[in-house]
Amino acid sequence: MKRILLLPLFILMCKLVVAQTYIIGVQAPITGSFASEGQGINNAIQLLVAQTNAAGGINGDTFKVVTCDDQGNPQNAVICAKTLVDAGAKVVIGSYSSTATEASQAIYAKAGVIQTSDATANNLIVHAYPTYFRNSFNDNIEGNFTADYFVNIKKYKRIVILGDFSAFSTGLSASVINNIKALKGNIVYTGKITSGDNDFRAILTKIKALNPDVIYYSGYFIEGALLRSQEVSLGIKADFVGGNSNDNPQFLKIAGSKAKGSYLIGLPLPQQLDSQQAQQFVADYAKKYNSPIPSIWTITNADGLLTVFAAMKAIKTNDPILVAKYIHGSIRNMPCLTGYMTINNQGEREGNIYQVSQIQSNLKYKVVYH
Amino acid sequence: MLNIFLQQLINALTYGSLIGFIALGYSLVYGILKLINFAHGHIVTFAIFITMSMLTQFLALHTLGFILALSLALIITIGVTIVLEIVAYRPLRRSNRLSLIVSALGAGMVIENAVMLIWGPNPRVFPDINFFQGTINLNGVVVSELNLFILFLNIVVMSILYLFINKSRTGIAIKALSLDYQTAQLMGVNINKIIVLVFVLGAILGSAGGILIGLTYKTISFNMGFEYGLKAFIAAIIGGIGSIPGAMLGGLIIGILQTLSAGYISSIWANVITYSLLILLLIVRPRGLLGQKDIEKV
Amino acid sequence: MQVNKSIFIISLIICSIGFPFLANNIWLSIITTFLIYSALSLSQDLILGKAGIYAMGHAMFFGIGAYTFAILINTYNVNLFIAFMASGIISYCIGLIIIYPIKHLRGDYFLVVSLGLNIIFINIINNDPFGLTGGPNGIFAINFPSVGGLDLTGAKAIYFIALIFLSVMILLFYRLNYSKFGRAIYYLNHDHIAAKSVGIKPSLNKLLSFSLGTMLAGFTGAIYTLQYGAVSPEAFGIEQSILLFAVVIVGGQGSLIGVVAGSFVMFVLPEIFRSYAEYRLLVFGAAMVILMVIRPNGLFPSKFGFFQKRHLQQK
Repeated sequence: MKRILLLPLFILMCKLVVAQTYIIGVQAPITGSFASEGQGINNAIQLLVAQTNAAGGINGDTFKVVTCDDQGNPQNAVICAKTLVDAGAKVVIGSYSSTATEASQAIYAKAGVIQTSDATANNLIVHAYPTYFRNSFNDNIEGNFTADYFVNIKKYKRIVILGDFSAFSTGLSASVINNIKALKGNIVYTGKITSGDNDFRAILTKIKALNPDVIYYSGYFIEGALLRSQEVSLGIKADFVGGNSNDNPQFLKIAGSKAKGSYLIGLPLPQQLDSQQAQQFVADYAKKYNSPIPSIWTITNADGLLTVFAAMKAIKTNDPILVAKYIHGSIRNMPCLTGYMTINNQGEREGNIYQVSQIQSNLKYKVVYH
Repeated sequence: MLNIFLQQLINALTYGSLIGFIALGYSLVYGILKLINFAHGHIVTFAIFITMSMLTQFLALHTLGFILALSLALIITIGVTIVLEIVAYRPLRRSNRLSLIVSALGAGMVIENAVMLIWGPNPRVFPDINFFQGTINLNGVVVSELNLFILFLNIVVMSILYLFINKSRTGIAIKALSLDYQTAQLMGVNINKIIVLVFVLGAILGSAGGILIGLTYKTISFNMGFEYGLKAFIAAIIGGIGSIPGAMLGGLIIGILQTLSAGYISSIWANVITYSLLILLLIVRPRGLLGQKDIEKV
Repeated sequence: MQVNKSIFIISLIICSIGFPFLANNIWLSIITTFLIYSALSLSQDLILGKAGIYAMGHAMFFGIGAYTFAILINTYNVNLFIAFMASGIISYCIGLIIIYPIKHLRGDYFLVVSLGLNIIFINIINNDPFGLTGGPNGIFAINFPSVGGLDLTGAKAIYFIALIFLSVMILLFYRLNYSKFGRAIYYLNHDHIAAKSVGIKPSLNKLLSFSLGTMLAGFTGAIYTLQYGAVSPEAFGIEQSILLFAVVIVGGQGSLIGVVAGSFVMFVLPEIFRSYAEYRLLVFGAAMVILMVIRPNGLFPSKFGFFQKRHLQQK
């Protein structure tokens, strides 16, 4: 019994010792289906923090990263948010998925912790939390771009929209559908698949009977790749277009040669970023971790942290509330790894760097429209 | 319209066969030990991953390499199954049935997490092989060669299994054991040998199903055994657990229900419809479709 | 002996009351989780351990309670107390409706049906029927009204709510062993035919113990929602149901101390060893196998019902 009572005291003491460095939390899916993305984000933040500390820190503080694995699900996201707040984090990067981000938002906002994430769901900014800002672009921008490409550029006449049950996919599907309807495009079918399943032939066979021009999928890369390869196996001639989360090397591995010809609408790939700063970051990452950056989302999250650092330097204080206040509205056209960072009063990132790539027969991406 | 229906039927039968292969493992073991072997799905996962590793090792040698890789993977899987039987199941054979179930659950957790530690938590991609890559187009109905092979293998395996159980000495011993444990022992059946054999048989059939799953869907992950194991287990129950044709029939029924409800009713509610119908089926036929009615003994 | 026992109980009470004032937030939340899962495991034990019904879908009723509570408060702004009562009662009603058509199923067939029902439940809440359950995201950022100026969502408040609830349940279970109903389900479980022949109604007792268990799970679910301020589907999936099933068997069926110890092993130890997350489940699985092989009747097997035998042995 004595020992049990001493244990909390011991933990309390440890906390006092650690509290002298400025803690940056990473809430990301380190395990689970999105593990590669989560590990990428964690690696990138560790790299940036190490670089910043080596340069002497900011305003007298050095930084330390505390990581929490939310496995991409909301339940663990809530637990992570509480854990990171208890651990004394002042800034949190994450999470990767909209679902996990949305679940954790209120807790960080209540605790006055800055949160930045790559998640794209429109409803992440409906509460307009003063401490939250987005380091990628919202669904509406992508929906608008996608609809314009489908209706005006490719002139598709029979469009199929598929998604999964996640908040991200549901939101993106809805934006694409609304924008296509606004342009008077013809959607012949909308449906959902369950992520984690791997046989989609039933729904694809049903779609085949509708004779579509294009199948658009708003979910993640694993199911995207399976849909594409089963589409080809069933002899469906329609184009396959994946939304931004189909951008992952696994897509090519799973779909194999059946991937060729399919399209991807999303942000530029890490190796397609042209600024000097971005090239340097990609090289540093590859050098430190001996593997390439998994996807563009790693880099937008790095941009999120860079924005926080830039704000700290600009107002010469590390107080999270003041830094968050500065970021909302005062960060305009700041050069960053993914182009320029502009954050509006709601915490929304403005601009548009979307592009369409097509997978070539050598299984490389080629930009066909931007 | 008919084309689409036929296509859906083929989708259903191939998917159902894969579930059926795994379900056979549950049914065989249950027939003798009355044990729901919760580790079976994870054994299948292990078989898939070890096959993946072996294939990437030996695939350069083409057909010969394929056979070599497959046999090595199978031998390792069989080894693991035997160890499992001796360590986790044999000591509990005479005790409470529930402890045996929990021991199986624990063993399943060990295998699942060992797979995660060995091959990593991220989904992996099953390697391509050089054959069964083509498709056949029959008037709009597309059947891949792999699908045809799955259906063919299903028929072959079921026939061999039927002959083995009903005609061979060992098969009859298995049947005797499942009917009356003690009498069979008195008649000179070597219980330990037969039980190990049944576990191994289940593991081989499950591995076959698992490898075909890997070839069909490409993406594999350490926790896939849970999902497939569960479906297969339900298939075995629906078919009448302990019955060999029942297990395959159960798999096919799950495939058909799932495919037709996704294809004709609603993809969103497909799972709800499938499981509701399965439960209704069990309420009407509490012993499954081909299960024997057992009489309450006093 | 008797004095020792009362000293133990009194010191346990003092420790559990004093604990939240000494512990930090992390420990407080771990122990609160333990209290909640102990209560949940006890409700599973009523069904599985005491009544001997092979139900492997208990997380579903935990979920029904949690979702009812969350929906009533979040969407309909219902009074906290009424919402709490409703989560138990709705869980009870659904339990009753579900068990009625399947009460004739025995053993493993019941097990598979209850698993199937749990899968259906998860699918339904994932599909967000009538916009109530929030789909895979669940419901989060629930604002609980304060009761009489007390904020019930504070870590200490939830700890005491869970503590009181568990204490009531433990008292209830302790008394159950000496009640008519408790003995009826015990003998039905251990000698079905003998029990039937002395006039114990199997189906009535089965219905009662199952629906009572689901009601208690429903109440526990409401407390769980209060603790996290969020509900989402994964907390109520079949993995959880299987774990709960294992807790009862590992702890010892029908044994109060066993089930509480079992939930400590299954739900608290993993929290403490969070940093070894990778090896955690591997070690756990192995421990389950070893424990079952060494102690097939659980950590602390139930002593109830063996008085007669021991008495004879002493002679």
